[in-house]
Amino acid sequence: MTSGYGRFALARAGQAAVVVLLAYVLTFLVISVLPGDAITNSLRDPQSGLSEADIQRIVEFYGLDQPVLVQLALSLGRFLTGELGFSLQSNLPVSQIVGDALPSTLTLATMALAIAVVFAVAIAYGAHYAPPRWAGILRSIPSFFLSVPNFVIGLVLIELFAFRLHSFTTTDPNSATATLFAAVTLAIPVSAPLAEVLIASLDHESRQEYALVARSRGLAEAQLFARHLVKPSALPSVAMVALIVGELLGGSVITETIFGRDGIGTVVQKAVTGEDQPVLQAVVSLSAVVFVAVNLAADLLTPLLDPRVNVREAANA
Amino acid sequence: MSADLNFARLRSAGTATLRSRAGIPPTVLVSFLVILLVVLWSLFPSLFTGYSPVNGDTGSKLDAPSLQHWFGTDYLGRDQYARVVYGTASSVTSALVAVAIGLVVGSAIGLASGFRGGWLDATLGRFVDVLLAIPGFLLAVVIVSSLGFQTINAAIATGVSAVAVFARLMRAEVIRVRRSAFVEASYLEGGNRLQALLTHVLPNAYRSVLVLAVLQFGTSILVIASLAFLGYGDPPPSSDWGLLVASGKTYVTAPWLVYAPALVIVATVLSINRISRWLRNSK
Repeated sequence: MTSGYGRFALARAGQAAVVVLLAYVLTFLVISVLPGDAITNSLRDPQSGLSEADIQRIVEFYGLDQPVLVQLALSLGRFLTGELGFSLQSNLPVSQIVGDALPSTLTLATMALAIAVVFAVAIAYGAHYAPPRWAGILRSIPSFFLSVPNFVIGLVLIELFAFRLHSFTTTDPNSATATLFAAVTLAIPVSAPLAEVLIASLDHESRQEYALVARSRGLAEAQLFARHLVKPSALPSVAMVALIVGELLGGSVITETIFGRDGIGTVVQKAVTGEDQPVLQAVVSLSAVVFVAVNLAADLLTPLLDPRVNVREAANA
Repeated sequence: MSADLNFARLRSAGTATLRSRAGIPPTVLVSFLVILLVVLWSLFPSLFTGYSPVNGDTGSKLDAPSLQHWFGTDYLGRDQYARVVYGTASSVTSALVAVAIGLVVGSAIGLASGFRGGWLDATLGRFVDVLLAIPGFLLAVVIVSSLGFQTINAAIATGVSAVAVFARLMRAEVIRVRRSAFVEASYLEGGNRLQALLTHVLPNAYRSVLVLAVLQFGTSILVIASLAFLGYGDPPPSSDWGLLVASGKTYVTAPWLVYAPALVIVATVLSINRISRWLRNSK
């Protein structure tokens, strides 16, 4: 069993590493091969304030006078050693820019994830146990959440709570209340797929025989839910964690822009407007690393959490 | 006993025919009406409003919604309802382009890798993994920033970021169908692989992919609106829904400039999602 699991874990980790490398290559190709020579454009921009020597240094650093494949090899080699290059806008190391922005986004994403889980569990619990009329409404909430654009949620929350009720001010985006509302904005679209999966698996589990047995032993529905149903119903959502991380990373671009927070999303937005290739490349490939790592962790955890999952089958899937 | 199983009885045994006669639920009917209105807005905008979306009357700027101006007016006195109606065509067509790209490219990849299997499946599978590894919205942002800030490029970017989902589903469906008895029978009758693919596998695999396409249409509207909101679509005076929300948010005293286009987006996507769910259940 252990050697089987070890082989499965190794194979999955190898796959994950390959995917990360290919994601880096794909991003690089999209950024550099598609029309427009952004690096030279922004270097030659008289407002960049770079001297001829500086430009020469940067051109040499990125190998801009050489073919794309050489540039790719150069860039990929640096990425593998953890060197992310320099921003073309501010000349700061990309690792420093990302490092400065990371705590803000991490706080926002963690809070959003917690809120999303609470929302999803509440919706699923309600959809399952509320009287039929309310349950029907609760069941349609995920679909409603998925239909509202992130930026609309943010703007409505700001309009209501900042401008009308004065719960927070948009000039101080890092205050606890402002962060809370930003997290709610990010959490709503994330909670929808989670709630859908929870509802489906809760429906499935409560029809199983062990639930019937527990009920016939006189267990109240709330106890049944807490003691027997929560754990197996939560399993399918472990597989969704990676998807959720992707949502959180993508959604942070919009949410941070609306609430004026300085995080990874804002870094992306500034890099796009300023055609700052190295920053864009770094943030996108790092988010692929995060996505793949979380996915890997979820895959490796599932056989440990659920003994019914056959490792050998999972390895072939 | 077997004599009772005549054609009519066998036919009515299918749940699909029975359910389609059960009638359309009212919410689905409303959804279809909303979509019909949106389609009419994008085809014949001038039938729905007498105002121009570009020229405004500066004497009546930032007016609240009224009988003359259903959605109020913006900072140049332009009728917001006219702006929304005239922005529909671009918002809807770009979502259609995005879905078409995702559907065609994704289905081709999924079909090839599911039907051929082997090394082709392994190679294409890695490619799809890579597309999935980059968060969809970030991928769209990177592509649109490379192609240039235009609505059509936003549509292409959204389409590319949807390729992986279509490829995954199509592959799963093809693998499910490929092993069925009727496909084997077609080989036994002397059919070749291409014949089996076109006449047996594809017709039995495409349904759930089409349902996904409907759902993806709604998602694409949201993604393209988000890209337009960030300013990655056509610049003003074009009036994509996302752009309208973005330019409306500057005027705190005129919240209808945000709410009106936002409501249109939500109503459209909600209707599409409802129709998609109905199609999935009545399949």
